[in-house]
Amino acid sequence: MIDFLTALLTPQLLEATVRLSTPVTFAALAAVVCERSGITNIAMEGIMLVGAFFAAWVGWKTGNPWLGLLGGIASGALFALLFGWATISLHINHVVAGAIMNILAFGLTRYLMVVCYGRQGTSDAIPLTLHHYKFAIPVLTDLPYAGQAFFDQTPLVYLSLLSVAAWAWVFKRTRLGLSMIASGEHPMALETLGRSVYRVRYFAVIMSGVLCGLAGAFLSIENSNSFTEGMTNGRGFIALAANIAGGWRPLGVFVASLFFGFVDAAQLRAQSLGFVRLPSEIFLVFPYVATIAAVAGLVRKSRPPAAVGKDFDIESGGE
Amino acid sequence: MSMKAGRITRIVAPLLAIPGTILYLASYFRGAWLLLAAFAIYLAGRAADLGVPAAAEVVRRSLRRAAMPVAGIVAALLIGAIIMVSTGYDPFTSYGALFYGGLVRGWSVSVLNATPLLFTGLAVAFAFQGGLFNIGAQGQYTIGVVAAAWIGLGMRLPGHIGIPLVFLVAALFGAALNALPALLKVRTGAHEVVTTMMFAYAVTTLSPMFIRAFGGDPSTSMHPYATDQIPASFWLPLFKDFLPKANYRLHVGILLAIGAAFLVRFVLLRTGLGYKVRAVGHNPVAARTQGISVGWITAASLLLSGALAAAAGATQALGLDHRMYQDLGSGYGWNGISVALLARNDPVAIIFTSLLWGLLDSGGQFMARTTRTPNSIIEIVKAILLFLLLAEVIYRKAGSSFGALFAGLAARMKAFGDSGGGGGQRGRGGGSGGEEAGA
Repeated sequence: MIDFLTALLTPQLLEATVRLSTPVTFAALAAVVCERSGITNIAMEGIMLVGAFFAAWVGWKTGNPWLGLLGGIASGALFALLFGWATISLHINHVVAGAIMNILAFGLTRYLMVVCYGRQGTSDAIPLTLHHYKFAIPVLTDLPYAGQAFFDQTPLVYLSLLSVAAWAWVFKRTRLGLSMIASGEHPMALETLGRSVYRVRYFAVIMSGVLCGLAGAFLSIENSNSFTEGMTNGRGFIALAANIAGGWRPLGVFVASLFFGFVDAAQLRAQSLGFVRLPSEIFLVFPYVATIAAVAGLVRKSRPPAAVGKDFDIESGGE
Repeated sequence: MSMKAGRITRIVAPLLAIPGTILYLASYFRGAWLLLAAFAIYLAGRAADLGVPAAAEVVRRSLRRAAMPVAGIVAALLIGAIIMVSTGYDPFTSYGALFYGGLVRGWSVSVLNATPLLFTGLAVAFAFQGGLFNIGAQGQYTIGVVAAAWIGLGMRLPGHIGIPLVFLVAALFGAALNALPALLKVRTGAHEVVTTMMFAYAVTTLSPMFIRAFGGDPSTSMHPYATDQIPASFWLPLFKDFLPKANYRLHVGILLAIGAAFLVRFVLLRTGLGYKVRAVGHNPVAARTQGISVGWITAASLLLSGALAAAAGATQALGLDHRMYQDLGSGYGWNGISVALLARNDPVAIIFTSLLWGLLDSGGQFMARTTRTPNSIIEIVKAILLFLLLAEVIYRKAGSSFGALFAGLAARMKAFGDSGGGGGQRGRGGGSGGEEAGA
């Protein structure tokens, strides 16, 4: 057992933890942004998938991964806008609209695979991935233990760390953050102050699209070099759990995402070590079991925003 | 006298409708005449009981109910056609193949597709009626397949004991899979979307392990993995056994599923449990003040939902597959969500929506084979259709303009001196059509 643990806990494992937590961090931030503003967003899985496809496709067409990244962000934002239109303007139940968006995303990416690449499954590899732009931050890399794991990384990993800090600041210090919190706790109060709940919620949904687009781009053009159908593998839902476990706060969510990244990394490592005689499926199940455990253990410690998931219709006085 | 006529027709109409349905499902399309005759007799009974205007009202209400879904389907197909044209496929031949394949040539495949969907749709709808979103029906479906393989491969039993036993064990497994999400929901408020979804991913991931445990050989290059065949004594009866021209694979699972739809409807509308489930789903606070134990009812609706979804898996394994296959995206659980939403959680309406989904799937495959249009376009059309029919604003506006149309027609008919009396009422009925359907 000790052997097993020492073999497991290596610097590479820490590096993999940070790397694999990145898409969950982005998506969990998207969940925070949406839920704090009063929108239950279960469409993140689908938005990520669309972002991953377009990042890979634009990157492949232009040969430039940075343009691919822009493609992922823009498509994520547009797809999220559709979700926002459905929930905010058309007043479809948030969970129902999210489920439909996921169905649409799976169908759309499968269709576009045939249209753009002439086949199903995996897309053509893009010539240059964002992984190529990996760089170490001079002094910080030398920090003991975590230095290399956090500060010798690829661009989107850094961006995810910055995003966590930025959103923590927005919610703590800015008027915008305050408006979003009000929109999620007591939308009518925000409306009485002369600010539009619809506008705040649209902003939140589009921002969640940007974040999920980044998460998708990470999967297809930074952590690998192509798009694969269904490659998000439930991360959108794991992010929902990270949001709950992290108590609807950017920093808490970051810690929760690191935990999920660790479980994922440990699972891959344990599988590759191979000296534990267990079916490989047992390891693949780790992240899902960990998610249930995290939700079970931590959910009571925090409270969701009061008006989350509830429709707000200004014409009928907020109900 | 007239009351007696009504009572007789109420017995005769189902006596015609049931064999008509069975014949139609088995691709004996002449069964449609029996269904039409049943409807005509039912109308005649209504007319004898309550007078001609009441019977006319029934026709009008059925048409009104059908108008929005049909308009939605047409609109979704049109948007799909635009997507096809802009990506270089021909919508006319594609849709021709879609409907020929789904409704005529591959109708038995459509029915086979609809069978598990109807069960999973009922599962999702039942939870929805209790205010819960069982998004993990796929996992419960898979555990139902596991139950069938476990009993079927492990025991030697005659069919009349073995088949009910499989369904019982599958239901218990499905309920057990939802036990922890139910407990967490009641105790801590953990959102069932996250927990049931995680269980679904876990069970799907583990399914190759189950297959190996049941004697499937992992070293072979067989793809997908599968167990040995379940003994024939466990197989569900085939339509072919009593209707010789029916498709050789078509099994009676669809009849079980339709029966389950009416059973769920009965439970929801006519029993104390169903009343409580709907009360909790509608307004948990009000339900609590009525003395309903919200926690127990919440748990009960999730557990029963799991049992229904597992019945889908058992039906599929005993009826069609006759073994456990590794699930490579059959999607019966996910599509169950769609058919339940489309039917607005009305159990009997799910019969029709699951058949629609089944025919779109089988027609889509026929289309992909014959015209090279990728059948994933069908997934897009399905999502658009859901979107259009669930956007209540669109729905309400379209409903009220339909209502206005009906009101106008009614007024004109009244002006012509038609039977009278019913005219004004008809207009009002038409006007409220949108809200009624939207509720």
